[in-house]
Amino acid sequence: MVMAGMVQDEGSSSVTSSSPLQYFSLMSLSPGSMGSSAYPWLKELKSEERGLYLIHHLLLCANHVASGSIENANHALERISLHASPEGDAMQRIAAHFTEALADRILKSWPGLHKALNSTKIASISEHILVHRLFYELCPFLKLSYLITNQAILEAIQGEKMVHIIDLCAFEPAQWINLLQSLSTRSEGPPHLRITGIHGQKEVLEQMALRLTEEAEKLDIPFQFNPVVCSLENLDLESLRVKTGEALAISSVLQLHSLLALDDETQRRNSPPSVSKSFSSNNLQRILKMKQRTTGEWLEKDPVHIYSPSPDSASTSSPLSMNASTEVNSFLTALWGLSPKLMVITEQETNQNGSGLMERVVEALNFYAAMFDCLESTMPRAIVERQRMEKMLFGEEIKNIIACEGLERKVRHEKLERWSVRLELAGFGRVSLSYSGMLQAGRLLQSYGYDGYNIKEENGCFFLCWQERRLFSVSSWRFRRYE
Amino acid sequence: MSKPAEVDISPTASGEASVSSSGTHHPPPQPPPSAAKKKRNLPGTPDPDAEVIALSPKTLLATNRFVCEICSKGFQRDQNLQLHRRGHNLPWKLKQRSGKEVKKRVYVCPEPTCVHHDASRALGDLTGIKKHFFRKHGEKKWKCDKCSKKYAVQSDWKAHSKICGTREYKCDCKTVFSRKDSFITHRAFCDALSEESARAQPQPQPQPPPSLGSNLPVPSPAYDKPSSDRDPQYQTSDAPPSPPTSAAQPSDALLSSIKADPPAPPAIASEMAANTLQVLEEQPARMCHAGSCSSASPSSSSNAQTGNSLTVGLFASSTPSLGLQSQPAPVFTDLIHAMAQSDWSRDHGPSISLEHTSLCLSNNHDGPLSLFGGPDRRQYSTPNPQPAMSATALLQKAAQMGATGGNGSLLRGLGIVPSSPRQPENNPWTSVSLDSEKASIASGLGLGLRCDAGSGLKELMMGPPALFGTSKTTLDFIGLGMAVGSSSNGNLSALISSLGSGIDVAAAAAAPLEGGDFSGKEMGERS
Repeated sequence: MVMAGMVQDEGSSSVTSSSPLQYFSLMSLSPGSMGSSAYPWLKELKSEERGLYLIHHLLLCANHVASGSIENANHALERISLHASPEGDAMQRIAAHFTEALADRILKSWPGLHKALNSTKIASISEHILVHRLFYELCPFLKLSYLITNQAILEAIQGEKMVHIIDLCAFEPAQWINLLQSLSTRSEGPPHLRITGIHGQKEVLEQMALRLTEEAEKLDIPFQFNPVVCSLENLDLESLRVKTGEALAISSVLQLHSLLALDDETQRRNSPPSVSKSFSSNNLQRILKMKQRTTGEWLEKDPVHIYSPSPDSASTSSPLSMNASTEVNSFLTALWGLSPKLMVITEQETNQNGSGLMERVVEALNFYAAMFDCLESTMPRAIVERQRMEKMLFGEEIKNIIACEGLERKVRHEKLERWSVRLELAGFGRVSLSYSGMLQAGRLLQSYGYDGYNIKEENGCFFLCWQERRLFSVSSWRFRRYE
Repeated sequence: MSKPAEVDISPTASGEASVSSSGTHHPPPQPPPSAAKKKRNLPGTPDPDAEVIALSPKTLLATNRFVCEICSKGFQRDQNLQLHRRGHNLPWKLKQRSGKEVKKRVYVCPEPTCVHHDASRALGDLTGIKKHFFRKHGEKKWKCDKCSKKYAVQSDWKAHSKICGTREYKCDCKTVFSRKDSFITHRAFCDALSEESARAQPQPQPQPPPSLGSNLPVPSPAYDKPSSDRDPQYQTSDAPPSPPTSAAQPSDALLSSIKADPPAPPAIASEMAANTLQVLEEQPARMCHAGSCSSASPSSSSNAQTGNSLTVGLFASSTPSLGLQSQPAPVFTDLIHAMAQSDWSRDHGPSISLEHTSLCLSNNHDGPLSLFGGPDRRQYSTPNPQPAMSATALLQKAAQMGATGGNGSLLRGLGIVPSSPRQPENNPWTSVSLDSEKASIASGLGLGLRCDAGSGLKELMMGPPALFGTSKTTLDFIGLGMAVGSSSNGNLSALISSLGSGIDVAAAAAAPLEGGDFSGKEMGERS
């Protein structure tokens, strides 16, 4: 075969006639009949070439999907499938999950087919819990976030006797156990601590309650755990039972972005800029009243934040198009209304909320490339847990980003710069994270030999990075009252 | 002067149609109102033959109802206005208190949804109705400084501020409450805790610091609370009990006692039966975060307790003077120290050096000590078979190739690629400044099929147009209606270069190729 003789040797760099481009084009000749048996040299593509090939075809495929050319998308998928694999290197795995997501998207245009294919899926809570636990274990991001959050909380509640912490997704007891331990060594003694944990699953909260109360007993800290079983969209702030006189801190780890899905829906329905039905009417009253004040306040203080309903319904690309009457802003304002001393927010540092598919695909490629890279570098490929996490956590996120729209698309990451605008609009002021938090986080990384992870600080916020790519942002905010 | 605008006078509180006149229908139980002290009706039972007044919201909200016509100064009371008018040399008249019995008045709330809108639930006092209206139907403008409570009535707010934060209730556990209800709730809860703590073992005293630790600054006494005794507590969990720590642990007894308790497996653990997960199951129990390499903050006392002070010395040498003098930081470092050292003391003697950190951790098969423990690294000691170029680097490369011109060969570009792409060495790819050589790598992957071969492969490359073209016609009937991306129908090079813009690499030029417009268009045209 002609091409066989043109396989590039290691180290030879001057063969101009055997560009891998030709490999690709050859493969394009007979899209339906490609198999590794017919083209054995395909498998010999070096990983780099293969990686580039995969990227090229992923973009191609996404392009086709976005423009509706199913036939071409199909060809592209087929080609990618030759090289993608959930057990290969980082790029191969990424390609595997992305193609699955793209295929899912295509399939959704046949709803019957889509539903049928998913009809025997067993929704397993334990799988879900397991996967999140894996993410906590295998990657340092959550640990770092908890560390930084706790440090910020500790600093904010110095001298307080009664502390109430609201955890918007109370999943990992380790976070609060760590705080309990730190509190027990406080020089003025531990405060009376109350933690309200919110989560969709009762079992998770029960488990959490068990572990935390156990720990608090040992450490002799007056402690209460209040479980609130509900999803964040349906949260009734009354159920949090915030009391006067207690110092309130809120911890939000990777939770806020799912609320952005509600915004999409609201804007779609073109409803008037009113607060959503998601919150109880008490909140409604309170929020409306607060907003009235805030509006006046804002308009006189900061004319840049204009409260005009955005004409551009689905696009969230310009910060000013976010007006105060979105769901997320209602939620944030409601939280603000509780007058928290501190709110620490961890979010993914990427913009996955674009309205265009290509935009999201490109962003997702960049973001998940870094995530998969960091897994690739920190653990061997054969580890089953890694694959599991890639599939069930990242894979599902990718699927959600690419294949879902509207309310269904909950994975709507946004960068900190956008969150900052929203938070400031809701009345929060940024609090710089302290250097000691950074140091401890650095120590954690060092001590576990996590190589390649970095923590960067900018404007008082921390960014958890893999190599140079920022993956998560951690920032802390306080209730800002107007003078 | 302006008088309050009274909207209407409705029938009496008792609902009778006629307006009763004063003085004629006094029910026997009521003494004359002009007796010494003004009698108050029982709450909720207004005087049945009192005059019912319904004021408008505007009236209720008005603060200064009496306005001087000369200088427009507002007053809340007519008397005050009159006195003011004297200053303008205007005729003034102080209204004397009328001698005859003033007709009793009751007020209803103007808000229709309110309970007090009904005459039978009218309130007896003008001030009262005003306050009610503000409290229930007004916005809360006054906020307490210390807590988050808001008030609509200024006097309420003042009253609260006086008592806010003042201690009233104190529990045995030394927590202070300002409210009785929260205090009681807590106490019910706290009793249990206090019983438990009474049964718990007393905490051991801190041991004297060994010699190596003595060169560190002496910490404040607050930190001599032994933190090591907390170590063993962290070992309780769903995990299989680890072998006991070395004798250096001061609280071995506590440790073994806790270990002896069969840990109740959490519900989740029962679901996750896989053996591989057992290791991971230990992790949640790990309490300490950032095990070992904590810095030398003034926590030598706690370090000392675990007896492994060399590490402290090491930290002292490596980080001589960290400004971690602030209160909270040492707390963490205490824990970190404690956790780390209790960990290490089990595995190694005092000859740990900083460089072997990762080693000791990898040997840490005992220890669910660290809260934020990393994955058991010994499992992951085998490196990946072929170190491949990282996905991020690949994306950047694709972006470069997409962005730069279409001359030169891909292979030349590939030749530049380092052959051993271990992660740290890939940093050149991630760094902002790329070599000019690399930057000039041409013939992007996705770019025009400009093959320098010119050997008739071009025809091969043409391929079936359907490959790259967009055959919308065949698909319209499906009605996919997918959102067309920003770069529809392929300015694929722009797509790829947009990959680069997503990456923090400044070198990726965003200009699409002029001729390298890889797309179906080109192909379509040719075919």
